Amino acid sequence: MSTQLWALAVAGVVVLAAACLEVVRARSARARALGATAEAASEPYLLYFTGEGCTVCRTHQEPALAKLGSVRVDKVDAIAERALAERFHVYTLPTTVVMSPEGRALHVNYGYAAAPKLERQLAEARGAMQVATA
Amino acid sequence: MATQVVDHSALKVNQTAIVTTVLVAFAGSAFYRPLLVLIPLLAIVLLLGTFAPQLALFKQLYFKILKPRGIVKPRPVQDRPEPHNFAQGMGGVVLAVASALLVPLPVAGLALALLVAVLAFVNVAFGYCLGCQIYYQLGKAGVIRAS
Repeated sequence: MSTQLWALAVAGVVVLAAACLEVVRARSARARALGATAEAASEPYLLYFTGEGCTVCRTHQEPALAKLGSVRVDKVDAIAERALAERFHVYTLPTTVVMSPEGRALHVNYGYAAAPKLERQLAEARGAMQVATA
Repeated sequence: MATQVVDHSALKVNQTAIVTTVLVAFAGSAFYRPLLVLIPLLAIVLLLGTFAPQLALFKQLYFKILKPRGIVKPRPVQDRPEPHNFAQGMGGVVLAVASALLVPLPVAGLALALLVAVLAFVNVAFGYCLGCQIYYQLGKAGVIRAS
């Protein structure tokens, strides 16, 4: 029985360490990607990094994006457009980036981002736009 | 490379079977050590299924029994099978290493097998596939042609 307990402890430590590393990695990538630029637009919009092999993109992310209504979503193949993906430090798929109308990254979400989260980030982007124009 | 229809129920059955087999081997071996043989057997099943899909035991269980009898409903999704096959192969390789470690270092062997079960569970429960992410990274690095 002690072998099983030790194995459980080792696996638990590895899972915990991996989770911590993932948090650190996402934070670091987000910090480097924020402020990166893409093309300008009249309204805040989304960059949606995906790939043919990304299942979660189809099963979760795309239905969430469809709920956003008329928001402009620029779909980017992260492998075909590697330079753009590198600019936003895309290390996992899907990745969504909320862009300001000036084309500056305001929020970067690595992994699946639910519709309410994206709506909140877009609302913040619109709020910032109104403050800037006032 | 075009997408095709992948039945995600087959993937879920496969992942559920992986979790169940590892847990039975893990918990059962505390009382009956020979149950550890399930881990190398699972490694063989996963590796065979990766290279010859018709030999993928759990997927065949789904396609031949569970689906025709209506026990599990199909869930076709426009997808590519390669990342999932890669993830399965990766699980098989890790389980093969775990099997090799079971005799000299049983704690390490069992811990590795548990990690495979955890990742399979995360895939079933949350749809996060680590093997698919590694496949994407390898594609990005140009090691494999992922798109």
